[in-house]
Amino acid sequence: MALDSAPVLEAKNISVEFGGLKAVDDVSFVIPDRGVVSLIGPNGAGKTTFFNVLTGLYKPTSGFVIYDNEDITGIVPHKIAEKGVARTFQNIRLFGLMTAEENVMVAMHSHLKSGIVSTIIGSPQQRREEREAREEARALLEFVGIGKTAGEFARNLSYGDQRRLEVARALALRPKVLLLDEPTAGMNPQESAVFVDFVYKVRDEKNLAILLIEHDMSVVMKVSERITVLDRGTKIAEGSPAEIKSNPRVIEAYLGKSAEVH
Amino acid sequence: MAIITRKKKSAKKQRAPFSQRTWSLGFLGLAVAIYIFYTYIVPHTSDGFQSQIQTWFPPSSLNEALVWVIAALGLNIVVGYAGLLDLGFVAFWAIGGYTAGWFMSGFFNQWHIHFGSEVANAIPGVHLSFWAVLLIGAVICAFFGILIGAPTLRLKSDYLAIVTLGFGEIIPQIFVNGEDIHGFNLSNGTKGISPVDSIGIFGKRLGPFDLNYKYIIFVAMAAIMVFISLRLRGGRLGRAWLAIREDELAASMMGIPLMRTKLAAYAVGAISGGLAGVAYATHVNGIFAERFQFSISIILLAMVVLGGMGNVWGVIVGALLIAWVNSTGLPAAGDKFNSVFNTHINFPSYTFLIFGALLILMMLFRREGILPESRLKLIMHETDDESGNEQPHDEISEEEDL
Amino acid sequence: MAGVTYKTRQLRRRYVERSFATIAVAGGSFWLLINLIKSPSQFTEVTFTGLSNGILYALIALGYTLVYGIIELINFAHGDLFMLGGLFSAHFITLWFNQNHPSGTGYGVLLLCLVAVMAFCAIINVGIERFAYRRLRRAPKLAPLITAVGMSFIIQFVGLRWNGSGQKTWPSLLPAGNLKFLGVRLPYTTLISFLVTIPVLLALTYIVTQTKQGKAMRATAQDQDASRLMGINVNRTISFTFGLGGALAGAAGLLFEQTRGLTTYNLGYQLGLIAFTAAVMGGIGNLQGAVLGAVIIGLIQGWNDGLPIGLGQQWSNTVVFSILILLMVFKPTGLLGKPMTEKV
Repeated sequence: MALDSAPVLEAKNISVEFGGLKAVDDVSFVIPDRGVVSLIGPNGAGKTTFFNVLTGLYKPTSGFVIYDNEDITGIVPHKIAEKGVARTFQNIRLFGLMTAEENVMVAMHSHLKSGIVSTIIGSPQQRREEREAREEARALLEFVGIGKTAGEFARNLSYGDQRRLEVARALALRPKVLLLDEPTAGMNPQESAVFVDFVYKVRDEKNLAILLIEHDMSVVMKVSERITVLDRGTKIAEGSPAEIKSNPRVIEAYLGKSAEVH
Repeated sequence: MAIITRKKKSAKKQRAPFSQRTWSLGFLGLAVAIYIFYTYIVPHTSDGFQSQIQTWFPPSSLNEALVWVIAALGLNIVVGYAGLLDLGFVAFWAIGGYTAGWFMSGFFNQWHIHFGSEVANAIPGVHLSFWAVLLIGAVICAFFGILIGAPTLRLKSDYLAIVTLGFGEIIPQIFVNGEDIHGFNLSNGTKGISPVDSIGIFGKRLGPFDLNYKYIIFVAMAAIMVFISLRLRGGRLGRAWLAIREDELAASMMGIPLMRTKLAAYAVGAISGGLAGVAYATHVNGIFAERFQFSISIILLAMVVLGGMGNVWGVIVGALLIAWVNSTGLPAAGDKFNSVFNTHINFPSYTFLIFGALLILMMLFRREGILPESRLKLIMHETDDESGNEQPHDEISEEEDL
Repeated sequence: MAGVTYKTRQLRRRYVERSFATIAVAGGSFWLLINLIKSPSQFTEVTFTGLSNGILYALIALGYTLVYGIIELINFAHGDLFMLGGLFSAHFITLWFNQNHPSGTGYGVLLLCLVAVMAFCAIINVGIERFAYRRLRRAPKLAPLITAVGMSFIIQFVGLRWNGSGQKTWPSLLPAGNLKFLGVRLPYTTLISFLVTIPVLLALTYIVTQTKQGKAMRATAQDQDASRLMGINVNRTISFTFGLGGALAGAAGLLFEQTRGLTTYNLGYQLGLIAFTAAVMGGIGNLQGAVLGAVIIGLIQGWNDGLPIGLGQQWSNTVVFSILILLMVFKPTGLLGKPMTEKV
C-alpha cells in the first residue's frame, strides 16, 4: 500500500508564528510516495499556512521540511518547484493574459535549457526544444481534458477549465508531489465526483503523491488514503477516512465552529 | 507562430490583428520607402517643397527619432515585457554615450590606440571602429545593468521606480562632476566630449551630412532590436517575463527564478540603451553631461506606454511620434501658428504642459496605448467599475502575438 | 540536522547586516568627529544649517508619507506643490501686500500668508486627487505613478510661466542677521524656522491622533475595505489626507521662500526627491519617522555640502540618492516602519 512507502515529503515540527500569533504549532506530517492524502480542518486552522511552508512561500519559525531526502526548509520557492513540488492555488492564479498552452509552458521553464543567445539566433536545439515543449504542453492539456482550449487566453476559460489548467500547469513541473489547494471549491457534486477519479488518474499515470486541502467532506472521504486534521494550528488527528469520520475530537472541532459536512 | 482558433466574432469589433510577419514587412517596406523618398525623390522636387520637408520632416530629426526608437525598444523589454518600473533609463543612454566618447575620440589623448578606425594613425586618443564601440558599449551597459539590478530588482514596483530614478540621477551626476575624480578626468565634466569620430563603414567615413547612410545604420540597429525582442518574446524567457509581469508570486512557484529572469530583462534593456547612447553620440557629434536628465527617462517611458507596452510596433510608432513632435513638430507647428495668427507664442516652452497633459490623459483614458497588446487591454481595465469602459472578458478570435 | 543550516543562514545574514550598519555608523561618526575637531564653529554652523534644512524636508516628507500611507501612491507632484507654495507666498507677500522688510504689519501679513498658502496648496492637492488619482485607485501601479509624473510636469509648467525659467530672489520679512552664541553664528531665519515648524508638527500630531478625521485616516491606511464597512467615508478621508499634505507643502513653501529668498520652477523636483528619501528612511507611512528621517537626511546633506572634509555640494544628490538606494535595498521598512508579508 502506498502509505507504507518512503515519504517523498516530510514536515518535522513545523511552527509558524506571525508576530506573536502561532498559525501553525509543532505540526509534523508525512506524504508517502505516491500517496493521496488530505489535510482538513476548520477555517483558520492553519492549513494554507502549512501549505505555504511546504512550498517555500513562508519560512517556518521552527522545524524542517524534507523532500526526497533533502532539507528544503527555507529554500527559495522557485528552487522547490524546480525540484518537483508543485501546487495549485485556492483562488486561481493563472496567467490570465497568456494562452492555456503558454501557461503550461511557463511551468516548463526550469526544464528548458535555451539561453538568450540561442533563443535569439534560433538555433536548431532551441527550435527543437520549443517544439517539444509545445507538444508536451498540448499533451498535458489533453490529459486534464482541456486540449481544445490550447490557444485561448486563460482568462477566457470557464471556471472548471481554469481549475484543470492549473493542474496541467503544475504537472508541467514534472513533480513528485502535487499540492492541491481547495481544488473543488465552487464545484457541484457531479464535478466533484469526476474530480475524485481525476485525482487518481493523475496519481496513477503521472506517478506522484498528492496532498489536498479540502473543505468538501464527501470529496475528502472518497479521495483520501489518509486524512490529517488540523485545528487552530495543531494536528488533532490523523488516519484513514473511517477513523477520522468517527473521531470525537474531529467532530467537536467541526461542530464547535459551524462546519460544512455534506 | 500565430495560433488561430476560429471563434464566433463577439459583438464588439476587434481590430483585425496582423501577424508578426505582416508588421515586419510593413515596417521594412516603410523604411525602404522613406529612404527612397529622401534620397531619390526629394532632391528633384521644387525648392518650396524641399524647404517644407526641411521644416517639417528634416532627415536629421528622423535619424534622431530612430535613436529614440532603439532606446524605447530596450525599455519596452524592461517595462513592457517584464513589467519592471524603470524611471532611470537615461543612465544607460549616458553610459553608452560616454563609451563613444572614450573609445571614439581624441579624449584620452594620453593614449594612442587605433583599431578599425578611419582616423589617421597620427592622431592621439583611443579610436576604435564604431562597430567595436557598439560592442563595448553593449558589454559595459549589460554589466551596469546587472550591477544595478542585482540588489534592486526584488523591490516592489513603486520602490523599484524610485530606486531606478535614483540611479538615473546619480550616474549623470557622476559624469557632470567627472572632470576631476581624484585627478582622473572621466568625462570632461560639463564641457563634454566633442567631437566624436565619424562612423566608418566599408572604407567610407560618414560625415555629418551623410544622413542617408546613417539612416540606414540606425534603421538596421532598430531592426535588430525588434528582432531580438520578438525572438526572446517567443521563447521561454519571454514567457517567463510575461508571467512575472502578471503574477510574480505564481511565476516563482512555477519554477521561474525571479532575480535571474528580471536581470536578463534589465540587462537586455540596458544594452539597447547603451547602443542608443553610442548612436546618439555620433548623431550629435558629442557627449554633453547636462543633457542626460530625468526627462529623458520619462520621455522614453511615455513612448513605451503610449505605444502600447509590450508591443514592439506600437512602441516604434509611439517613439517616432513623440520624438518628432518634440524635436520638430511642435516648433514647426508653432511657427506656422504664429505666422498665421500673427502671435508670438513660444510653443516649445509649452513642452512641460503638453507632455504632462499627454501622460495624464493617456493614463485616464487610454492606458493601453495606441497599439495595445490585446492582453494589455484586459489587465489595464480589469478593475474598471461599471461606469468604466470596456468589458474585461472579450473573446479574442485570433491570437495576437506581440 | 540539515535544517540548522537554514537557521544559521538567517542568523548569519542578520549578523552581516548589523555589522555593516555598525561600521557605517562608526565610520560616519568618526568622520564627523574629525570635522568637529578640525573646525568646531564651522561644524556647528553647518550642523545648524543641516537641521534647518531637515525641518523643511520634514514638512514636505510628511506630505509624501501621509499620502503613501493611505493609498500607497508616491505622489510625484508633491514636491512641485511645495515649489508652487513658495511662489504663491512670494507673490502674496511682496507683490500683493507690498511687504519688503520686517515690521509689525509684515508679521501680520506673514501669518495671513501662512493660512492662505496652506489653503491654496491644500485645495490644489485635493483637486489633483479628485480629478486624476481617484479614478486610478485600483489600476496597476504604473498608471497612477505616470499620472503623478504628468501632474508634476504640469505644475512645473505653471511654475515656469509664473516665475520664468531662472531663479528669482525675493526680500524676506524675517529679521536678518545672526544670533551669536559661543562664537557660533546662528541665523535668525533658522531659529524662526524652528519656531514656526514645531507648532505645525504639533498641530499635525493632534489632528492625526485626537480628531475623528485623523482616526479615520489611520483606519483607512490600515485597511480601506474594513474602514468602509465601518462607515468611514473613504473618499472624504483620502481627500482630507491630500488636503493635509498639501497644507504642509504650502507651509514649507512659505518657509523656504522667506528663509532662502528664492523661487525656481524646478525646485520641487530636487527637494521633493530628497524629502521622499527622508520619508522612506523613517519608514514610509510613519509620521514620526518622516520627521526623524528628514532631520537625518538634512544633517547628512548639510555635513556633506558644508564640512571641510566632505564631498561638497556638487555631489549632494549622489550622496542622498545613494542613501535612498541603500535604504531601499537593505532596510525598505526604514527606521521606524513595520515589515509586511504578502497574503497568498
